[in-house]
Amino acid sequence: MSAMIEVTGLRVVLPPAVVAVNGIDLAVQPGEFVVILGRSGSGKTTFLRAINRLVEPTAGTVRVAGRPVTGAGRVALRAARRQIGMVFQQFNLVRRACVLDNVLAGRLGYVPPLPSLLGRFPEADRALAHACLEQVGLAHLAGRRADTLSGGEQQRVAIARALAQAPAVILADEPTASLDPALTAEIMGILKSINSERRLTLVVSQHQLETALAYASRIVGFRAGRVTFDGPPGAVTPAVVEAIYGPSR
Amino acid sequence: MKRAALFGGLVVLAWVAWDTGADPVRLINGIPWILDFLRRSVPPDPSVLPAALAGALKTVEIALLGTAVAAALALPLGFLSARNVAPAPLFQPARVVLNFFRSIDTLVYALVFVAAVGLGPFPGVLAVIAYTTTSLAKLYSEAIEGIEPGPVDAVTATGATRLQVLRYGVLPQVLPLFLSYVLYRLETNIRAATVLGFVGAGGIGFYLQTYLRMIDYRAASTALLVTIAMVMIVDALSSKLRARLV
Repeated sequence: MSAMIEVTGLRVVLPPAVVAVNGIDLAVQPGEFVVILGRSGSGKTTFLRAINRLVEPTAGTVRVAGRPVTGAGRVALRAARRQIGMVFQQFNLVRRACVLDNVLAGRLGYVPPLPSLLGRFPEADRALAHACLEQVGLAHLAGRRADTLSGGEQQRVAIARALAQAPAVILADEPTASLDPALTAEIMGILKSINSERRLTLVVSQHQLETALAYASRIVGFRAGRVTFDGPPGAVTPAVVEAIYGPSR
Repeated sequence: MKRAALFGGLVVLAWVAWDTGADPVRLINGIPWILDFLRRSVPPDPSVLPAALAGALKTVEIALLGTAVAAALALPLGFLSARNVAPAPLFQPARVVLNFFRSIDTLVYALVFVAAVGLGPFPGVLAVIAYTTTSLAKLYSEAIEGIEPGPVDAVTATGATRLQVLRYGVLPQVLPLFLSYVLYRLETNIRAATVLGFVGAGGIGFYLQTYLRMIDYRAASTALLVTIAMVMIVDALSSKLRARLV
């Protein structure tokens, strides 16, 4: 079976001349729960954003679920993005919009574009958005304005938005970095259940070692834009930790 | 350095005062004339009140229609001249067009449109549209440039089209600001529209100017009081609405 995410020779240089990702090859198999571990500045965020081309790669290729992402034209890129759900550290909800509208945004790649500009969504898509909210346990808050929710709730809405895309893959960039330990466990638990129940492939970045080890099926260590470790959580030895985080830790 | 700048500034002001013939003595000598003008303005003439009220209503109508049309026309221009969302090749041209037309005041546009379509409120409406469209577009674009990029990334990542990203990632962030700017422009346009009548573009200004020309100061003071009341009422209503927006 071919890989769900296939990254070869990925290199990203951010303006003015910061080499954020410096030659990464990575193949993620369907159903894996990959945690990318690394210090801040090790290239985790840029790597994830390059997978759906929110950041334009400088070199290398990315394929997701069999579709080429790099080199894709406008229409093909949107089709590829549609199957890549993304969850962000800062949740990135539209604060003034209600919870359900935020989740419905996940359907934008599927619905007829013209009615969607007028705020109209087909009934089936509304039902799906509701079901996704139910999955994260927030169906009762559908009508609330997003910015009236707590941080943990907002991140759950963001996960529901990603689920509404009916994605093949979910990328989560430090999804718990803005949350306290109890909420960290809650959010990681939801991601884990999505992974096991829906067989969705997950790539989650983390800077916290303990959280990474507790949830991942595979750990990929980043340092200075390169992979320094790739293996199961059980293989993470003190020497590996030092290779990822550096000796000063 | 600071001292030199201050001295330089004072020299410029002194020269300007001389060049404009600014002379306190002339102002003091003019005071009796001002008093005479005020004396002849009271009491306001109530018989012209209906005409003045009708003129004021026309002024409000000019400002209202002009601002509403401009608020819509300014939308595409505002997006095209916002650095963070405009397609790169269109951004600079849009900026240049905006800055060019914005440097001309409503009154100048009124002169042009009166010449083009004749006297009355219609050229006034056109003048308000011409100026307000560009000034609102500028305010819109600044609001757009101040948005949070996070929600825009999130909507882009769903596979949305560029227009959908604007509608769902950008517009909800800026809409309350846009409405607030429109109301603010409505307030300033009411004031601008009062003088439009001076150049034949309709409204209360036309009456004010006519009474002044006929040296009917009591009628003129009625028109002036109506203008003040109109501006105050619109300001009060508009600022109340604006307070509820943001």
